[in-house]
Amino acid sequence: MPAGSERAVVELRGVSKEYMRDKIRVPVLSNTNLDIPHGDFVAVMGPSGSGKSTLLNLAAGLDRPTTGTVTVAGTELNQLSESKLTRWRSQHLGFIFQLYNLMPVLTAFENVELPLLLTSLSRRQRAEHVETALRIVGLQERMDHFPRQLSGGQEQRVAIARALVNDPVLLLADEPTGNLDAAAAQEIMDLLQQLNEEFEKTIVMVTHDPRAARRARRMLHLEKGTFVETELDALEAAG
Amino acid sequence: MIPLKYNIRSLRTRWVSSLMTIIGTALVVWAVVLTFGLADGLDHTLEVSGEPLDLIVMRKGATAETNSIINESTAREMAALDGIASDAAGNKLCSPELVVVVNTARRAGDTNANMILRGVTPAAKEVRSNFHIVAGRENKPGVREAIASTQMANRFKGAGLDEELDVFGAPFKIVGLFEAGHSATESEVWTDLEVLGQTTKREGVRSAIQLRANSADDAQRMADRISSDEQFGLSALSEPVYFAEQAKSSRGIKAIGVFIAVILSIGAVFAVANTMYAAVASRAREIGTLRALGFNRRTILISFLLESLALCLAGGLLGCLAALPLNGMSTGTANWVTFSELAFTFRFGPTVQILAVSLVVVVGVIGGLFPALRATRMKIVDALREV
Repeated sequence: MPAGSERAVVELRGVSKEYMRDKIRVPVLSNTNLDIPHGDFVAVMGPSGSGKSTLLNLAAGLDRPTTGTVTVAGTELNQLSESKLTRWRSQHLGFIFQLYNLMPVLTAFENVELPLLLTSLSRRQRAEHVETALRIVGLQERMDHFPRQLSGGQEQRVAIARALVNDPVLLLADEPTGNLDAAAAQEIMDLLQQLNEEFEKTIVMVTHDPRAARRARRMLHLEKGTFVETELDALEAAG
Repeated sequence: MIPLKYNIRSLRTRWVSSLMTIIGTALVVWAVVLTFGLADGLDHTLEVSGEPLDLIVMRKGATAETNSIINESTAREMAALDGIASDAAGNKLCSPELVVVVNTARRAGDTNANMILRGVTPAAKEVRSNFHIVAGRENKPGVREAIASTQMANRFKGAGLDEELDVFGAPFKIVGLFEAGHSATESEVWTDLEVLGQTTKREGVRSAIQLRANSADDAQRMADRISSDEQFGLSALSEPVYFAEQAKSSRGIKAIGVFIAVILSIGAVFAVANTMYAAVASRAREIGTLRALGFNRRTILISFLLESLALCLAGGLLGCLAALPLNGMSTGTANWVTFSELAFTFRFGPTVQILAVSLVVVVGVIGGLFPALRATRMKIVDALREV
């Protein structure tokens, strides 16, 4: 949590977030500061309602803080209009969702190609990028398959390829193993770890799964909107 | 842009609701194309009937040949006017004609309708473009013989080749069939002028005189001369003006067409909107994902509008294909100027095609707009939570 690193990819300064529910203000994050440096792999854990998803949404620019600033890859997201934020997201972020969120009517190739349709790449260049991303996740043989023709683990790997294909600065993963069996979850975590270690991708992962969290470089614990950093060794000890 | 295949395949996935919407839109387009095809056919028939250089001379105050009377001597004076064109043999293109309405039994059903029987001289066919005999021969002068258009032969009992047509108790043998470029002439039966006059006890009477001028200037000059001479008591109209007046009878059909188009289109808009609302609701997470990936609101709006348009265009295509077999089919309506049957064919010309395309575009855009707007207004974080 200590802030101040010059190379931080994600910087939260005095961030608070409140929601209105039935005219009652519900605080989710309060006066939060956070630095995530380049190449880090952070697992965010915590009970339901602790603000994990809110943190991810703020870092992704999908939501705006009530107070404070969110800076990602040197851009203060509060300063961007919605249209600029949308464009910025397509250039700097990769998303990995719990339910994979693939378009069911598009093939693996077409799903991975989606973010590249927002770039000026030619069809041929796009095909090269997509094939590279699918090769990294080990699914180059399944590029013509539709999501329904793939297992859950394979679907998630396609989703990871989609998150990778535009070479983002930051990968945001929301419960990436939450819908998978143990073996598939293991494969996905292997892949994320490889992306972090070999390709130096900065990853922020929200998870309930301690086994998944153990694969991160460090773990943050959110309790009622406040960070408590947990040493992985402590997590190991906790079992 | 979101690839169009995303939308087309999504429509295929929800094939039952997509198909129902396509069929609904097809029915609307079919009904509208049919009605306007009818009006277009009628307009076309009257439009091609008017030759710019031809004048129709009638008694002053008469609105149609059927209620005009000109005596024989006045008719002869017309032939002596300057500016009338001549045929290759040097004969003046001046055609005195007697028009009689004969109530005749239709072939289809047990009803009767008024048919136009025109008494003519050989000059009549010279002042009508595209007139040609397609079966049998021309009628001989001085005998009770007649020639009928193929459309009238098909529509009226006694008007077929070698049949006998009853004209106020006198039988007229049909010796030939003719066509005349889909003009109003194809709604007539022709016989010899003098024979018709004798049969109907109107010897020396003419209903109208048709003249062909040498030039547009001559046509104008003759029209002015005839209409201004009090002794004649006649008026001369150019053929296009005369038939344009009759074309007003298609206004009723067009009004019905507009009414059908509006009512059915409103229904189609609701059907399309319903289908598209369901599509947006069931794909909320996909929309949220696309927005998270960086597709902006406008792109989402265009994508869903295109999906709606694709749905309607498929319906429009189906509707047009279903109407196509009726293109060129013969039908008829009452001409409220001559009080006789006017035969014409369904005609799905460019006007009707443009109308059909415009209709599906309007239905597609209006039906798809509100669901598409709903898709763009979704909060990304909420949409992503949808299962």
